[in-house]
Amino acid sequence: MPNIDRREFLKLVGAGGVSVGAGFMLREANKDPREYLIPHVLAPEDSSSGLSTWYNSVCSMCPAGCGISVRTYEGRAKKIEGNPSHPVSQGRLCSLGQAGLQALYNPDRLTAPMRRTGAGDSASFEEITWEQGLKQVGDRLDLLRAARRGNRVAFLTEGVRGHLAQLFESFMRQLGSPRLLHYDFDHPHTLYAANQQFFGENHLPYYDLQNTRLLLSFGADYLNNWISPVHHSLGFGESRHGRPDIRGRFVQIEPRMSMSGAAADEWIAAKPGTEGILALGLAHHIVAEGNYSGADRGAWVTALADYTPAAVAEQTGVPPTTITRLADSFVDTAPSLAIGGGAAGNHSNGVDTLVAVNVLNYLVGNIGQEGGLVFNPAPAGPALQQHRATYSTMLELAEAARQGEIDVLIINGTNPVFTLPPTAEFAQALAQIPLVVSLSSFLDETAALADVILPSHTYLESWGDDFPEPGVGFSVGAVSQPVVSPLYNTRGTGDIILDLARRMGSAEVMPWNSMEEFLKYGWRRIYQRGDPETLAQGFDAFWTSVLKAGAWGETSSGNTAFTLNPDVIAGIGVAPPEFSGSEEDYPFILHPYLSPNLHDGRGANLPWMQELPDPMTSVVYGSWVEINPETAEQMGLTEGDLVDIQSPHGQLQVPVYIYPAIMPNVVAMPIGQGHREYGRYAKDRGVNPIEILSPQIEPITGNLATSATRVSVTATGKRVKLVKTGGTSRDLGRDIVQTTGGLGVEVTSAADNSIPITEVTT
Amino acid sequence: MSLFSRFMDGWRKYRKPGYYDEFDYHWTMTIDLDKCTGCEACVTACQAENNIPIVGEEEIAKGREMQWIRVERYWEGEYPNAKLSFIPMMCQHCDAAPCETVCPVGATYHNQDGLNTQIYNRCIGTRACAVYCPYEVRYFNYYDHEWDSPLEQQLNPEVTVRGKGVMEKCTFCIQRIREAKDVAKDDDRRRVQDGDVQPACVQSCPSKALVFGDRKDTESQVYQSMNDPRNYRVLDELNTDSSVFYLKKVDA
Repeated sequence: MPNIDRREFLKLVGAGGVSVGAGFMLREANKDPREYLIPHVLAPEDSSSGLSTWYNSVCSMCPAGCGISVRTYEGRAKKIEGNPSHPVSQGRLCSLGQAGLQALYNPDRLTAPMRRTGAGDSASFEEITWEQGLKQVGDRLDLLRAARRGNRVAFLTEGVRGHLAQLFESFMRQLGSPRLLHYDFDHPHTLYAANQQFFGENHLPYYDLQNTRLLLSFGADYLNNWISPVHHSLGFGESRHGRPDIRGRFVQIEPRMSMSGAAADEWIAAKPGTEGILALGLAHHIVAEGNYSGADRGAWVTALADYTPAAVAEQTGVPPTTITRLADSFVDTAPSLAIGGGAAGNHSNGVDTLVAVNVLNYLVGNIGQEGGLVFNPAPAGPALQQHRATYSTMLELAEAARQGEIDVLIINGTNPVFTLPPTAEFAQALAQIPLVVSLSSFLDETAALADVILPSHTYLESWGDDFPEPGVGFSVGAVSQPVVSPLYNTRGTGDIILDLARRMGSAEVMPWNSMEEFLKYGWRRIYQRGDPETLAQGFDAFWTSVLKAGAWGETSSGNTAFTLNPDVIAGIGVAPPEFSGSEEDYPFILHPYLSPNLHDGRGANLPWMQELPDPMTSVVYGSWVEINPETAEQMGLTEGDLVDIQSPHGQLQVPVYIYPAIMPNVVAMPIGQGHREYGRYAKDRGVNPIEILSPQIEPITGNLATSATRVSVTATGKRVKLVKTGGTSRDLGRDIVQTTGGLGVEVTSAADNSIPITEVTT
Repeated sequence: MSLFSRFMDGWRKYRKPGYYDEFDYHWTMTIDLDKCTGCEACVTACQAENNIPIVGEEEIAKGREMQWIRVERYWEGEYPNAKLSFIPMMCQHCDAAPCETVCPVGATYHNQDGLNTQIYNRCIGTRACAVYCPYEVRYFNYYDHEWDSPLEQQLNPEVTVRGKGVMEKCTFCIQRIREAKDVAKDDDRRRVQDGDVQPACVQSCPSKALVFGDRKDTESQVYQSMNDPRNYRVLDELNTDSSVFYLKKVDA
């Protein structure tokens, strides 16, 4: 490097630049005077030339509720990062969260209110003004309310927490309608039900991965999309190498290796739907070995009598030695933790399975322990669980629509036409509703069937707040604030609802002029719960500090003394899973899983997510079906062969990917592609496995048992090139990824080292 | 002094052992494979930070993807003992970089911080560097890629948008390093402290598998981490003297 610094460099350049500069000035003088070299004489407060401004807000790309920091530069959002002071994300953020920028700047966003004209195939949308749109909807609502027929209005929203949820609730109360539905395809209904049954709490506990030494995950892909993946990843890293001389051990039990399965030390393939039976097999061994000495031991011995290792091995396909070994290390390696969810919770026996997982935590004393399962206090935001819509609730809504009981349906954010199987006939039900109003920011499958679209801001342009569920052992909240001014003629969801409330004459009860005002009203109550020091500052200072920090916490902890309701023990038991379709006609069990990149399909319109290789297969832009190598060989299939996947309820054509870690009688497909609308990046790409799911339900929650469909696989003889970034999937002696038997680290459970992981049979 | 002898002087100096000890900083990254979950948050972080274009399905089918950092995946064993390992791979910033010696126009060179650096407006697109790179982490712009409006509003003003015919690759987020140096200078501090600067990938990593810092600072986290007994370098037998250290996956 020449010994010259930037200032000297500028001097040199400056000397030669005068003559050039003069010509430049002359040209500038002749230009249209409305163009400015510096865009503002008095720049907005947050825009100073050459410097970035950071705003803290909340991510809304998935239900985890991570705190984010958004870098803006001259009024444009440039990058989203995790907010270091938010306890959930702690400065980190997943791919989907970072790709939120492409939701904001998506070329296929809805830019103004629209109304459907024409019918059938000739239907199209025409642009209208906000006044026209709001008047059309508001008048109808006003009429219904005045006629005391407000119960003919239904409100369907994506899972929303915080004050927006409260706003929806007040709005529907004004109408006198009970039909407020929070619907998410992947909401863990069975987990809530299992915890309600076992712990008597209707909110989730905190799973303390960070301090655990052994994690047994029954189907929960906790590093990818189960509840709070960023927070779980933080815990995973800390558990692995965050403590001196202790390395946490992770075991994953699932029929198809997920990302969490790849990161685990041991992957165990149990037959689909028998994860709960396996958990009870472990529980049996723990009790039988005398490793549980609670007063209710007798009751447990009786309840678990049928789950001997031999019997469980027979049902699950996991050898008895593995069962006893896992059970013993689960006792010996305290603190340990068992979690369950994902596909394991989406069988016909989902709730019982997840209760069985809780049994393990109970018997070993992990409940309320650091490194185990810690109870959260009730969330500081409004209680929501009663509005959470399951598949059955959605069927009821569709049925009510068909019966002509619904005059107006308002849909916010969620896309049920895509995430419900066609057997639910939701699209047809929408056609029966006289006025369907969509508040979507994008023309997704559901919005395309709406009569009026009142497009919302994206989360980066609007006010809101979130209280992550589950919290992190204490209450966490954060305010979501606009980081850029709105790009288009859209409005915040809360503002639209408040406007409609005014139009239907509810201004007295809902007097707020904007969502921001309502938020402040709500947060004033949180402020009033504060300590004297906070109160002395005044509300404005409190509000500013919450916005600046991007996080608020309350250190009250949850229930610490847990006593099990003795009636629960007698009810313990997991029935074998039921599948739709006979084994003869449909020899494979379909294992649909949420795409790591596209989630439940919401990420499909983001080019970054489309082009991000699938972590396990490196496939981009498409769909595929994963088949065990031996099965594929028997069927004469190789990568890229197009096969027909036939279920009792539909058929899809999709290329084969040979997947080394999937059971021979299971085929897996990612959910997320197969959009018929939703913008240029998503449309007409791949297939949607939800379309062939059988309407099998989990009876306790009434949710769709998404893992309970059987399928047949037939070759079509056609081939396509599967587009992927990865080259060879094997190391071929290059020693690129190197492993060690634990150099410099004590391995948690030394006994486990000597037993090979090679004994799982099917 | 003739042009030739000046060249030879520079060449001798460059080849002299110990030349690299004279770096101002020695930026280094460590990647703990026992912590990496393969989630690819680093990939998206890099795309966003470095204005990396979307090339489309057809281009990827031709092997022309553009991702300065990628997560490679290697299967081992067969069902039911199949195992999958992830390894993030980006420019290793080799101190004896094969790509640097082959560039006919000196578009890729080693800077005073030990970074392997690409000068976009000097690059003439011979792609020789990509051929020589054993890690295959150099990406070529076959086209002038465009952003569907208004996606271009997201582009990072600190990073050049590369045009057709130009080679590009990971820079260890040199724009962030420059900014940290400026801040340190304005702060009347002589040097950038540990933790002042993190590339986008390191910053986003949810399991904190990636660590970045100055190897010359023996107190730094990266110095501790690169001296972990599990450390190794990929394709170390090629003597590339790379600046990215991997920590072995623990097989327990």
